[in-house]
Amino acid sequence: MRSLRITLVAMAVLALSLPACAETPAVGSAAPDFQLSTLDGKPFTLSKTVGGHNAVVLMFIATKCPYSNAYNDRMRDMAAAYASKGVLFVGINSNKTEPLAEAREHAKSNRHTFPIMKDPDNKVADLYDAKRTPEVFVVDKTGVVRYHGRIDENHEDPKGVTSPDLKNALDAMIGGKTIERAETKAFGCTIKRV
Amino acid sequence: MHDQESLIGKVTGVRWKGPFTFHLSPRATIRTFALLFCLSAVAATPASRIAGEVDARGLVDAVGGYKGRVVLVNFWATWCVPCREEFPSLVRLQRAHGSRLQVVGVSTDFARERPGVEKFLAEQQPNFPNYHKRAGGDDEDFIEAVDPKWGGELPFSVLYGRDGRKVRVLSGQQSYADFDREVRKLLR
Repeated sequence: MRSLRITLVAMAVLALSLPACAETPAVGSAAPDFQLSTLDGKPFTLSKTVGGHNAVVLMFIATKCPYSNAYNDRMRDMAAAYASKGVLFVGINSNKTEPLAEAREHAKSNRHTFPIMKDPDNKVADLYDAKRTPEVFVVDKTGVVRYHGRIDENHEDPKGVTSPDLKNALDAMIGGKTIERAETKAFGCTIKRV
Repeated sequence: MHDQESLIGKVTGVRWKGPFTFHLSPRATIRTFALLFCLSAVAATPASRIAGEVDARGLVDAVGGYKGRVVLVNFWATWCVPCREEFPSLVRLQRAHGSRLQVVGVSTDFARERPGVEKFLAEQQPNFPNYHKRAGGDDEDFIEAVDPKWGGELPFSVLYGRDGRKVRVLSGQQSYADFDREVRKLLR
């Protein structure tokens, strides 16, 4: 009986410690669930949100990173353009060096009206093993990761984009087609963890 | 001598009439001053501290040229605060290990920020070569070619053994002690 109790305690400890050493969820696998508060104090739970949308776009963002900031307008425009297609964009700021007030100011100055959350102690970044900003995960309505990577290949010039990877992925999902490039990479700023 | 005179004459309009004697029209005077100004501007321009522009293939060639040494390639950018904080450790590391180690820096800054790269290098005075990632192409191809495990986050370092084989990668900012420990493992 005692050994069973020890085993159960050990399993509980192991389960609790798992998120801290998680690997990036592969495309096709379940998106780890999480709960955070938006900048205006509303609760956000991924598992309660996905069912009501064709896709949820999780964007790891920053206030000071030039690469992330290069996409501020594109994030705002895409969030607005895809809202009517049942796609919800959300921002997650996991940088320990960027406090709540700074994230709020950044959202206001960039007219980011989509939900943005601070990720205290970078728990969600660890859960997804997110490395950089901007870094995007697209989750479908069944809670499966369908795309992971960049918004597009051209951070310098939105008009010069030749590979709009996030847009292509969303369009394919909405159209019931296969996503041709479901994983992409780009330069970005390291997420400053605790 | 005759060809040289005629070339300068063609550029400036100065007509050579013999030792200490030449004809200088107003137009030739302007052209001569313009030529002298250009030459002095070229002479006054400091040499670039950037070793050159590289793509993934060029980087492989550069690393291959240091066989026999442990090589540490560090990818950085001037806008990347942790990269800037990390950089002095690399300068110290190169100094500490001398010819047994070769640090190679690669700036991934935007092409338009090259003057900022020059300024940063002038401040840091690195004792190792620093390249600038060649503009154009898809960054994903460059990132993948450097290492499939790299997601594109900066700073990022790759360590090669003395036989030129890639040994390990270091993601994010490292301390001097972290770098030194990894280099010492490869120097054993």
